[in-house]
Amino acid sequence: MYYIRPQTLAKALEAGEEPGMLYLAGGTDLILKLRRREVQARGLVDLQAVAELRQIRAGGDWLEIGAMVSFADLLNNDTAAQEARALWLACSSMGAPQIRNQATLGGNLANCSPAADSLPALLVLQAQVRLLSRSGEVLLPLAEVLGRTPLWQPGTLLAGFRLPLRAGVSGFAKLGRRQALAIARLSAAVALREENGRACGVRVAFGAAGKRAFLSLDLAEELNGLVLDRGFTELACRQAKKVISRALGERASAPYKKEAVAGVVREALRTMEFVTSGEHADVDRKGGRGNED
Amino acid sequence: MKIELKVNGVDRRLEVEPEERLLDILRERLHLTGTKEGCGEGECGACTVIMDGKTVNSCMVLAGQADGHAVTTIEGLGKRGSLHPVQKAFLEEGAVQCGFCTPGMVLSAKALLDRNPHPGKEEIAVAMSGNLCRCTGYDRILKAVERAAGEVEQ
Amino acid sequence: MNDVIGGTVGGRVLREDAWGKVLGQAAFPADVRREGQIYAVAVRSPHAHARIRGLRLDEARKAEGVVAVLTSADVPHNGHGVLYRDQPVLVADHVRMAGDPVVLVGAETPAQARAAAGRVEVDYEVLPGLFDPEEAMKEEAPALHPEIHGGSNIVYHLPVYKGDTAKGWAEAEVTVERDYQTQMLDHAFLQPEAVLAYVDERGHLVVEVATQYAHYDRGEIAHALGLKFNQVRVRTRSVGGAFGGREDISLQIMAALMAWHTQRPVKMENTREESFYSHSKRHPMRMHYKTGATRAGKLTVMEARIVGDAGAYASWSPNILRKAAIHATGPYEIPHVRVDAYAVLTNNPYTGAMRGFGAAQPVLAYESQMDLLARELGLSPWEVRLRNIYRAGSETATGQVLSGSVGMEECLKAVKSYLGEVSGR
Ligand SMILES: Cc1cc2nc3c(=O)[nH]c(=O)nc-3n(C[C@H](O)[C@H](O)[C@H](O)COP(=O)(O)OP(=O)(O)OC[C@H]3O[C@@H](n4cnc5c(N)ncnc54)[C@H](O)[C@@H]3O)c2cc1C
Ligand code: FES
Ligand code: FES
Repeated sequence: MYYIRPQTLAKALEAGEEPGMLYLAGGTDLILKLRRREVQARGLVDLQAVAELRQIRAGGDWLEIGAMVSFADLLNNDTAAQEARALWLACSSMGAPQIRNQATLGGNLANCSPAADSLPALLVLQAQVRLLSRSGEVLLPLAEVLGRTPLWQPGTLLAGFRLPLRAGVSGFAKLGRRQALAIARLSAAVALREENGRACGVRVAFGAAGKRAFLSLDLAEELNGLVLDRGFTELACRQAKKVISRALGERASAPYKKEAVAGVVREALRTMEFVTSGEHADVDRKGGRGNED
Repeated sequence: MKIELKVNGVDRRLEVEPEERLLDILRERLHLTGTKEGCGEGECGACTVIMDGKTVNSCMVLAGQADGHAVTTIEGLGKRGSLHPVQKAFLEEGAVQCGFCTPGMVLSAKALLDRNPHPGKEEIAVAMSGNLCRCTGYDRILKAVERAAGEVEQ
Repeated sequence: MNDVIGGTVGGRVLREDAWGKVLGQAAFPADVRREGQIYAVAVRSPHAHARIRGLRLDEARKAEGVVAVLTSADVPHNGHGVLYRDQPVLVADHVRMAGDPVVLVGAETPAQARAAAGRVEVDYEVLPGLFDPEEAMKEEAPALHPEIHGGSNIVYHLPVYKGDTAKGWAEAEVTVERDYQTQMLDHAFLQPEAVLAYVDERGHLVVEVATQYAHYDRGEIAHALGLKFNQVRVRTRSVGGAFGGREDISLQIMAALMAWHTQRPVKMENTREESFYSHSKRHPMRMHYKTGATRAGKLTVMEARIVGDAGAYASWSPNILRKAAIHATGPYEIPHVRVDAYAVLTNNPYTGAMRGFGAAQPVLAYESQMDLLARELGLSPWEVRLRNIYRAGSETATGQVLSGSVGMEECLKAVKSYLGEVSGR
C-alpha cells in the first residue's frame, strides 16, 4: 500500500480513478476496515490538502459544505448552526471530541453505515450531493444517491453538499446507549416551515432503522398543513411508530425501536428552536426523552 | 515512506511503513510510550495526542496523515518540578488510579484549556467524553480539570 | 509541591506512583523493551468445544521473520490454575472454550508474528457445546474435565444449612418465590495484557508483567516450564486496572515459554479483542429464592439454590460460590436457612475473580426478595429491612455470632431521609 497527498482536486481525481486506490478523509472508518482486512487498497489518496474540500460557504441561496469538513468544523460554524440546525445537532451527538476532530461529513456519507448520524439531517435539509468523476461534475439529491448501490462508481470523488438556505427550521435527536461514543440505535431528523401556525414543507427522516437513512414521505404528508400544537407532536410520534414498524418488519430490534421512536421524534421536535416556546414545548419537555428511551 | 513531523517541538524525519499509525510511530519508533493503546479502535482515548491544537486518537491516524503536522504527547508537557497545571491538578485531586488513561485525559484537558481557559462543568464533561477510565468513576478527573482551569487563570 | 496536603493526621498524601503516571513515565509492560526482542502471538480457537485432529505448521514456520512455532508438545507441564491446574498453556487436543490458545508463533516483528499466525492451520472437530450450566450439571452431561474434575461438571457444591426449614415454613405467613439471573461481565481494565519475558545474564527467566499475583505467577511459570522457583523472577510493572481479571495466568507462561525456547527476549501484547478472550469473567449466577416471613414482617425461613457458571476452567469458582453461599441471606437474620451453591463447568468463557468475588450477585436476589415481601406485607421496603437486619448478637446462616461493630441499623436510619417516599410499589 502506498500513500499520496495531492494538493488539487484535479490531481486527487486523477489519482483516485486509478484502480485499487481509495480516498482517505479522516480515516475513522477506513483505517479500521484496512486493519481488519475488510477492504484492501493498493494506495490511499489523502484529501486533507485539497483546500476547497474543507470549506463551508454561504452564498446566494445555498450553503456549500465541502466533503472534507470535519464534524468539529461544522460545529464551530455559526451559519451552519443557524441554517442547518439538524445537521449541527447530529454533528454534536456524533462520536467524541477526538473523533469529531478527524471524521468528515464526506466520509460519513461515503462509508454510509445504517447509523451514519449526518444522513437523516442532510436528508431533511434537502441536501444535494456534488460528485466528481472523469465525466465531469453532477449534482444529485442525496435521497436519490442513497437509493443506489453502490452509491457511486469507484473513483468518484464526493466534493461536498449543497443545502438551500432559509428553508425553515430543523431538529435532530438520537437514541444511543450512552451520551458519548454511542452509535445511534435510532435517530430522527425533522424540518419544516411555519406558516400561520401551521406546518408546511414537512420532512422527516430516520437513521439506524434499516440499511440506510431514509425520508418518510408518508409521514411528511400526514403532518403537512397541521396546526403546530401539542396534537402535532402526538400525531408525529404515533405515526412514526408505524413508519418504523414497517421499515423494520421482523427484525429483532423492531419491537424496541418502534416504541422508542416516539421518544426520539418528540425529542427531535423539541430541538427545533421555534417549537421550544409556548405551551406545546412545556408539555414536551416534561414528557421528554427518558420516558420512552 | 518518508515523513516529517514535529513531536513535542522537535522536528523528526522518519522512514515508516504506510500502514503504521501515529501511535506506532510514537511508541515503537520514537519510544514515547506515554501514549497508550487501550483499544486500537478509537473508542477509549488512551492514545489521545494533540495534533495542530486538536485532540486526535493516534490509533486512528495513519503515518502519512501525520506528515507535516505538529504533535504534542504527554512527554511534551511538564517535568517534575515544572508540572503543567493539569498534571498538578490530577496529582492533587487524586484523579489518578491505575494511570493508564491519565496521559490521554491530561492531553484532552490541556487542549480544552488552551482553547478556552474558563470552561464550564458541561464543557469540561464534553471535552473529556472521549476518554474512558475504568478505575476512578470520573469524578476526581472532572474536578481536577476544574481545578486546573482555576490555576491556568492565574 | 508538597507530597502531603494538610497535617500528618487527616491530611492527604499524594500517591507516589501518580507522579510517573501524570508525566507519562510509568512503565506498563507494553512500554518496556529489550534489545533483540521478538514478538509472540497466540493462535486461539474460534470454537467453544472441539477436538484437535491435527496441526499444519509448515507454512507458518516458513513465513518471513518467524523464529519459533510452539505447541503443547513444547510445554513440559501443560497446566495452570489458581486452585486446580486444569487450564492448558497450549491446548493439546481438547478445546473447552472459544479463545483457548493452541499454537504460539514468535517472529521478529509484530506484523510478521501476526501474519505467520494467520498461516497456522488447525484441524478442529467441532463438538456440541455445553452452554447452559443447568444442563451441564445433569448426570448425563458429558464431563468436560474427566481427568481433573472427575465424571461431573459440578466443581463445587457448598450447602449452608441452619435450623429447621420445615419449622420455618410452618411459621411463615407470607412467601415469595422467584428466579433471578445475573449476566457475564468483563472487567475491561483499560490496559490490555502485555508481557516481556527474557533470560537474564544469570540464565534466569525474568517475566515483566502487570499482575495481581506475582508470587503465584512465578510458581505457575516454573511449574509449566519445569524450572525451579529460583530460576524464575516475576517483576510487576504498572498495572493498568485489574479488578480481579489479572489473578489468573494470561500471557505469562506463553511468553516465558517462547523466551526459554528461543533464548531471546519476547514481547506479547494483547489486542483488546484478545484481551477479552484471555482473562476470566464475572460468574453469571442463576438464583432460585424462596423466602418466608410472618405478618409482622419477621423473616422465618429462606431457601436458595445458586448455580454459578464456572465456564471452561475452575479458576476461583469454588471460592466465589462459597462467598455467594455465605452471603446468600444478605445482611438479614433468618432462623431457618437452606442454601445450596454450585459451580458448574461449561464451554463458556471461564469465570473467576471480579470485584465482590461472588458476594455481588446474590444481592440482586435477596434485596429483590425483601422488596417483594414488603409489597406482600404492605410495609415500606425500609421497614422490612429494619425489622430483620443484623445487629450485634445476630447469628448468620453459617452460625457466626456477630459480636460487635454491626452498623446496619445506624446505616439504615442515616439513609432514611434520602429515600423519599418509597413504598412497596
Ligand atoms: C470511535 C468511533 C465512534 C464513531 N461514532 C460515530 C457516530 O456516533 N456517528 C457516526 O455517524 N459515525 C461514527 N463513527 C464512524 C465514522 O467516524 C464516520 O462515519 C465518519 O464520518 C467517517 O468519516 P472519515 O472522514 O473518517 O472517513 P474515512 O474513514 O476516511 O472514509 C470512509 C470511506 O469513505 C470514503 N471517502 C471518504 N471521503 C470521500 C470522498 N470525498 N469521496 C469519495 N469517497 C470518500 C473512503 O474511501 C472510505 O471508504 C465512529 C467511528 C469511530 C472510530
Ligand atoms: S487506543 Fe486509540 S482510542 Fe483506544
Ligand atoms: S485510572 Fe485506571 S483507567 Fe483511569
